[in-house]
Order: sequence, then C-alpha cells, then structure tokens
Amino acid sequence: MRKPALILCFLFALSILPDAAARAKVDLVTLPSRESVQLTIYNSADLTLARDIRTLTMRKGDNRLQFAWSGTLIDPTSLEMLALGQAREIQLKSLQFPPRVQGLGIWNIDSGVAGKVPFEITYFTSGISWQAYYLATLTPGEDAMKLQGYVRVTNNSGEDYENAETRLVVGKINLLDRIADLARRNEPYGRPGPGFPEPLYGMAGDRVLEEAVPAMMAAKAELKRTRPKEIRKEGLSEYFLYSIEGTEDIANGWGKRLISFTAPEVPVKNVYRYEEERYGPATVRFLSFVNDRQHNMGTEPIPGGLVKVFRDTGEEGYLSYVGARETRYVPRGEEVDLNLGPSEEVSVKPVLMNYRTDNYEWKDDRITGWDEHRTFEVKVANYRPMPVKVEVRRNFPVKAWQLENTGDPGLYEKVDADTVQYTLDLPANGEKVITYDVTWHMGSRGSR
Amino acid sequence: MKKILFFTLAMLLTAGPSAEARTKLVALPDREAVTIRFDNPSATLVEEERVLTLQEGENLVDFSWRGVQIDPDSIRLSIMTHPDRVTLLSVSYPPGEAALVWRIHSDTAREEKVRISYLLSNIDRLITYKGVASKDEKTLDLEAFLVLRNFSGEDFERARIVLGQGDPFTDQTTHEETRQIHFLTARGIKIRKTFTWDASNKPWEPQRLETDVGIPVHYIIENSPKSGLGKDPLWDGKIRMFQDDGQKGTIFLGEDHVGITPVRSRMKIYIGDSRDVSVTQFKTKDERTDPRPSKHAVVLYDTEEEIRTEVRNFKDSPVTVDLIQQIPGEWEMKGSSMEYEKRDANTLVYRVDVPAGGTKEISFNYSRRNVRN
Repeated sequence: MRKPALILCFLFALSILPDAAARAKVDLVTLPSRESVQLTIYNSADLTLARDIRTLTMRKGDNRLQFAWSGTLIDPTSLEMLALGQAREIQLKSLQFPPRVQGLGIWNIDSGVAGKVPFEITYFTSGISWQAYYLATLTPGEDAMKLQGYVRVTNNSGEDYENAETRLVVGKINLLDRIADLARRNEPYGRPGPGFPEPLYGMAGDRVLEEAVPAMMAAKAELKRTRPKEIRKEGLSEYFLYSIEGTEDIANGWGKRLISFTAPEVPVKNVYRYEEERYGPATVRFLSFVNDRQHNMGTEPIPGGLVKVFRDTGEEGYLSYVGARETRYVPRGEEVDLNLGPSEEVSVKPVLMNYRTDNYEWKDDRITGWDEHRTFEVKVANYRPMPVKVEVRRNFPVKAWQLENTGDPGLYEKVDADTVQYTLDLPANGEKVITYDVTWHMGSRGSR
Repeated sequence: MKKILFFTLAMLLTAGPSAEARTKLVALPDREAVTIRFDNPSATLVEEERVLTLQEGENLVDFSWRGVQIDPDSIRLSIMTHPDRVTLLSVSYPPGEAALVWRIHSDTAREEKVRISYLLSNIDRLITYKGVASKDEKTLDLEAFLVLRNFSGEDFERARIVLGQGDPFTDQTTHEETRQIHFLTARGIKIRKTFTWDASNKPWEPQRLETDVGIPVHYIIENSPKSGLGKDPLWDGKIRMFQDDGQKGTIFLGEDHVGITPVRSRMKIYIGDSRDVSVTQFKTKDERTDPRPSKHAVVLYDTEEEIRTEVRNFKDSPVTVDLIQQIPGEWEMKGSSMEYEKRDANTLVYRVDVPAGGTKEISFNYSRRNVRN
C-alpha cells in the first residue's frame, strides 16, 4: 500500500509567525488516521465531495492543525472542518495557506476543552468519476428485454480510499471552475489584481473517464458476499443520490464495477422511423420502453450511459448483438426512445408520382405566386418475421400547404405547422403504401 | 519581510532633502497599530500608527518602500496627539525613488503619534459563501468567508482588519499567504425555488436531441431582516450550495457567482439544471395575412401565429416553471389559455404550476403587425 497522500498533523503553537523556519521546528503531536470516509461522486462534472472523519486530540487554548495534500487533486478552496462533538467549545478561527508552500493548510483553532474531539473534514477532489452503462437483452420475440444497469467508479485522484462509503449523484450541477484547475493553482485563491481565471461554462459532459480499467478489485469483503451489494436511491433537490450498501475500497488508479439494478422483463416497442430531414434516406430503428413500475422498471430516473443491446436468439441462450447507443438521462415515468441506428429490416420509400403547377399570379412581367401539386406514394415494407410499428414523417418547406389523402392508410396527425406523421402497424413481412396529394402555395399565393 | 521603511531625520540642513540627508537616521519608529480596510473591493487601504520623535523646529521624515506597490499620491499623514502644535509643512518626492519626505514642524521636542494612510496594491479580499439548504429546500443556512490574499510584499504581524460590515477583528497576514476567515452566519433563510425555460435559448423539441436538455434551477433568497440578514449588503463572490441529505451529511448542489446584493434585494443563485422537468414547444400555426399594398408585390403583411407548449413534471413534488416567450416587433395577443406577465415589449412570462408527475399544456395565439417583406 502506498503512503497516504493526505496527512493531518497537529502543531504546537509555539511561534506566532508561520514562516518556514517556524514550521520546521514545530513538534508533531498526533497523526490521527482517517476513521471513516464518505465519497459523493458526481458524473456531470469531475468532482467528488469527500467527507473524512478523524478524532483529534485538542489542547485547551490555541491549536494549530496542519493538513497536507500534495500529490492529490484536492481543491483547497473547498476545505472545511467541522467539530462533530463539543462544537460550541471549539472555534475555528481561520484557515491559513502559508506562503510559498503548495498543498498545505493550517487551521487555527481555539478550543475550550482538552481531549479527544471528533472532526469532519470535507473537501472536493477531482479524479474520481463514475459512469453508468447498461446491458439489454431482448427476448427472441423482441417484445420484452432484460435490462441490467451498472456503474463503474474510477479513481485517479492520487489518494487511496479504503472502506469508503460511496455515493453517486445523478444530475447536472452548475460549476464555475473545474476542480482539477483549482487543485493545480499555485495559490489556492489565485493572486490579486487583474487576470482572475475566467469562469468556465458548459461543464456538462466534461468527464474524466479513463479507458476500461479491469475490475480486478477483489476486496476481502466481497469474497465473503453471497449476493451483490444493493444501491439505495433517493431524490434530493434536482438530483438523485445512489448510496452503495456498505463500504468500498477504491485505490488510486483502480476502477470498480457495481450493479445498479436488474429489471428482468421490461416490455419494449420496436418502432421504425423515417424522416428525411432528420435521419436522411434511411429507416432508423428505435427501441422504446417506459421507465415506470407498470413496465417493470423502478421508481428512479436512469442516468445517461451507453446501452448495449443484445437479442436472445432462442437457441440455447445464444445471443446476437443488435447495437449500442448512448441514452440520455431518463426521468421517472418517461418513455425512452433508444436510437439503434439505421436499419435495413424495414424500408420506407417515398416516390413522387405526379407533379403539376397552376394558379399563377403576376405583377408586371414577373411571376409572384403559384401553386405546386404533388402526389406521393410512400412504400413501407417490413422484412422482419414479426409485426412492427412504423412512423413516417413528412415535412413541407412552405407555410401554406394543404394535404389530401387518396389512398390507404389515410390517417395522419399534424405534429406542428409544417410536419405530418403517419403511423402504421405492419404485420410480419407486411407491406403498405401511403398515398397523398399535397398542394404548396408559393410566393404571393402563400399570403391570403 | 519589512519592505516599508520609515526614518525620522534630523533637520540639519536647511536645503531640501538630498540623498545624503536622508541617510542620517535618527529613529526607526515601530509600527504601533495597523488597520487594513477592505470595504472597497477595488483598493485596499492600510493605515498605520507610528510614534515620531520630533525635535523642536523642522524635522524631515522619510517614508520609503521597496518591493511593494504603494500609490504615492494616496499617502496621507495625520498628526494624532497634538494636531495644533505639530504641523505638516510639505511633502516632497525624491527623484527616481519609491519614497517621500515629510517636512514637519513641532513647537517643542516631543514624541508624536502619527497615522499614515496609503493604498497598497496586490493585497485584497474575496468573499466566498457556503449555503446549506434544508432537505425540503424551504430554508437555507448561509455562511460567508473572507479570503485575504496578501501578495503585497509586506508582512503585517498584527493588523486590525476592517470589512466595513460586522465587527473588525485582529489577525496577521504575511506576504504570499492566503487566509480564509469566517465572518457571517445566517440560519433558516427562506428559499424560493424556480425553474426557468426561455424559448429564445432552449431547444423547443428536446426529444429530438441526442443530449440532455436541462431546465435551469435557481434559489432566490432575500437580504432582509426576516431572512436573518438585512443588516449589510451581501458582497459579490462565489457561492457553493449544498443540501442536507437527511443522513447527517450533505450533497453538493452546484456553485454560482452572485453579484452584490443590497439590503432588501434578492440574491438569485443558479444551482444546476433539472432533467426531471421538460418543456416541449411547437408553433402550430404560422400564416401571413393582409398583404399590402397588394398581393402581387407584398411589402408589408401581418401574421397569425399560434404556440402550444407542454410542460411535464416527472418529479414527485409539484413545480412552478417560468416560461419566457419572445414575440418580436409589434404584436397583439388574440387568445391565451392562461394569464401571463408582460416583462417588456417583447417578452412574456407564463408561470405554470405543474402537479407532481403531471403535465400542463398552455397555448396562445397572436398576430404580428406590419412585418416587412
């Protein structure tokens, strides 16, 4: 095991001046070790809130407590200390960052009591991250899936955390500065005068993610376990807090995979969408499911992450890989639309069958307006051996248009001022043709 | 590290202060009391008291500094004990030196206390805040810290530090040292939590995007006596917001830079974005009407437009979402499914209450007038 990077020690307040010479002479009284630590790890930014509990031996009167963190990625502006017991007797007077020393802070404490006092030291560190990812396995009939959620915690903070109570926060926090930048500053708060660091915006997605780290951490506790650890989930403000049962050892440089949830049978809908302006001339497959109890999911939101989708082939449990897609954050109760990319299994082909113009309007020698009439046949074919749902959207580039249906199926809904959607249920290996006539009123014909 | 030097010189020469004259050291008076004043965020004022040993008649007092930046024109000398008997006659600046010489007249030989005031560069203060919201987000405990950054080149062993609010306190500060000092606690401040969706900068159909779209969330607190504040303005600085997690700990909610908040005004703290509230908006009608001067060469026209907005709340508690809508140019509201507040000529605010797990739909239609082609 490496030497701990975070060192806490007591100094006798012999000298008032905290210059380097005085510090060198001070006596070390106690070196209290960490009793417990709690890590609250964020994934929308490279930030972890660490809460360290240590029992310190106080002397009556002035105490000076030195905290050193060189080699770590701790943000010194976040350092805070709180007496957990006898808080009224203990007054934290100031936190001093001495000159020309990096990674060192000294708390000046006035204590009305002598003896052991538990303290909580909190700080932000960067370098610890977590990321959610999912494995989905579709049933052979593709009407349901087994969904397994995982999180991987990676520690590159420079500090080993043993027996850490680990909590993960799902949510997008606002940050002005990167914690890693604050941790690397020469002076904790910078220097006076112009040239203050500009606040950073758009921290979303700013994740320090390492390449896959093998999850080799076989902690003693885990060997004894007969079941995976549970993750307790709770909403706080606009965020979700996942608390992992028990404690974890997360050594510097290591990653760890934890099971977040398993939903054995989630009903899914297979939808194929066609919208040229959005997806180009291809049909895109979507897998949709609802994140709620009725659909066998939990009562919590799902953090964004990569979903790898497999299909059970029905042959002795062999799997076929369907595709992978990053999900967005899915609130409780929302329908997830997982875009699995272009598909050849369902085709949608719009064909222009007829074109004519009329109702020209003139001003002097110039044409100012006219109408364009088009007849389209949209051929929709399902090459799969199972029923599918197909949504075809058509956008019109003019504000004034009229649509008339001449064929079957003729039902459409208007999505917005210039978009209509046809929704079709196709049987296995089925085919349907949508026919419509559309009139576009161009130029001055568009102003009534 | 003493960079500010101070000499009293015997008045031996009747000529003006020359380099030789100023080397004749009579006394090196110690600093007696130092006050560092941080009430102006753009400049730090140092005032120090010293006792001068004056002879009868004219005295030359030399004040010089090395390795520090003092605004020479800001240096003031006040006679403390016998202002009627001791007179400052003149101030001169020796050529090419960071120094000045005071010519002081005293009616008799005496020890005289003087106060020297000057603006010192590269020493300042920042304010940082820590807020801890209660688990139910109804109240907030606020703590404020002073961060004293001394890169001035000068050490102050014992200084009275004046912030311009609260009680002054005594502390030390050495060159290149940063010191964080707690100076304010206010507990149980009432919070108002807001969700804001602005049609001009948020996507209208977030479902169409591959990335998450959040709705900005703010806490609003008032700097007033009923909040346990209201004595002094709250200075600008960085605030880090936490929330009680109900498990004897906290989680970090987010940070913001808050501007100066005078008494009786509000501090708006941006926490982060909610992804459990979503807003989808469509323009369901967009038509041109009344083309002028004729429909053949239209230069001016009106429009009929309709907006439909759906607000969904996925949370298990109700929310209030402020929808900010912009209508450019001249316009007339034709119909609105709910009341709105007109913020300015082109900005409307719909305050929409959405129950837990619910959806609320609003729509409005308007006509824009005299749109130029």
